[in-house]
Amino acid sequence: MSVKSKIFSAMKQIAEEQKVTLPPLEDDLPLNETGFDSLAFAILVARLEDELGIDPFTVAEDAAFPSTLGEFVRAYENVPA
Amino acid sequence: MRNVLVTGGSRGIGIAIARRLAASGDYNVVAVARRESRELAAAIRQAQRRLHFRACDLAATDAIPVFAKSVRDEFGTIYGLVNNAGIGTDGLLATMHNSEIEALIRLNVLAPIILTKYVARHMMADGLGRIVNISSIVASTGYSGLSVYAASKAAVAGFTRSLAREVGRVGITVNAIAPGFIDTELTRSLNDEGRRRITGRSALRRLPEADDVASMVEYLLGEGGRNITGTVVTVDAGNTA
Repeated sequence: MSVKSKIFSAMKQIAEEQKVTLPPLEDDLPLNETGFDSLAFAILVARLEDELGIDPFTVAEDAAFPSTLGEFVRAYENVPA
Repeated sequence: MRNVLVTGGSRGIGIAIARRLAASGDYNVVAVARRESRELAAAIRQAQRRLHFRACDLAATDAIPVFAKSVRDEFGTIYGLVNNAGIGTDGLLATMHNSEIEALIRLNVLAPIILTKYVARHMMADGLGRIVNISSIVASTGYSGLSVYAASKAAVAGFTRSLAREVGRVGITVNAIAPGFIDTELTRSLNDEGRRRITGRSALRRLPEADDVASMVEYLLGEGGRNITGTVVTVDAGNTA
């Protein structure tokens, strides 16, 4: 399974747990329109750290969080192993 | 068996907490400190594999994410986090060295906040967890020579209340304990006269002990603590009553 599909499936699971209805997951979807609040994103980052073994936002030099879903996925794809 | 991380677990209040939780039979305890004290090594031998030591210098905050991950990888889900590690450098503010002020704030405030960040978000993902922060009665009273320490402990109390609001929805409780003066290495600078004065001012005419704090931690982690969050529990033999 690709990183992208792992992220999407984790999001779908959290959406179900948090009773959030996700819009269609497209690259240019702004994160603040996913229906996820900051708590849901924190859970997502923690689950992905377990599944992928990485947390790109701790490794990153700057404190900026991505603004679209595509940027979020790329943050995980671009982490050096 | 539920995993509990106790920072500053090699001495003082921390080892009392680690020992009590391990002895309860309900928890697998990981005591965190820079070095394993002889006292902790002895406690580990008696604890029938329910007490472990893992080294970490929490003042090196950059290393905390990796440390948190290594504990999780080795032991599994963390149920409880007890932020107890701290230093109690005393001195008049006017003459305290800036490096001492910074080191105190780093270990007593920055380190527990960052460790909590990396432990709590997995608790969030698991939908379960208990966090106990060790504050102090000095956070809300006053004691000459402890202004910086008091600031750090007040920070811990404020952190506790707001974090409790943040993570309550996912089933995590966050509380603080405010001990009074307890005889440990941290308070050894207090002389006999000071100790007598504090004892005399306490409703119960005695000082609380490290194990009294450990009992409160055990309570907050247990069934009795399930609906207690965002509060500061005072354990001071009535010193501030």
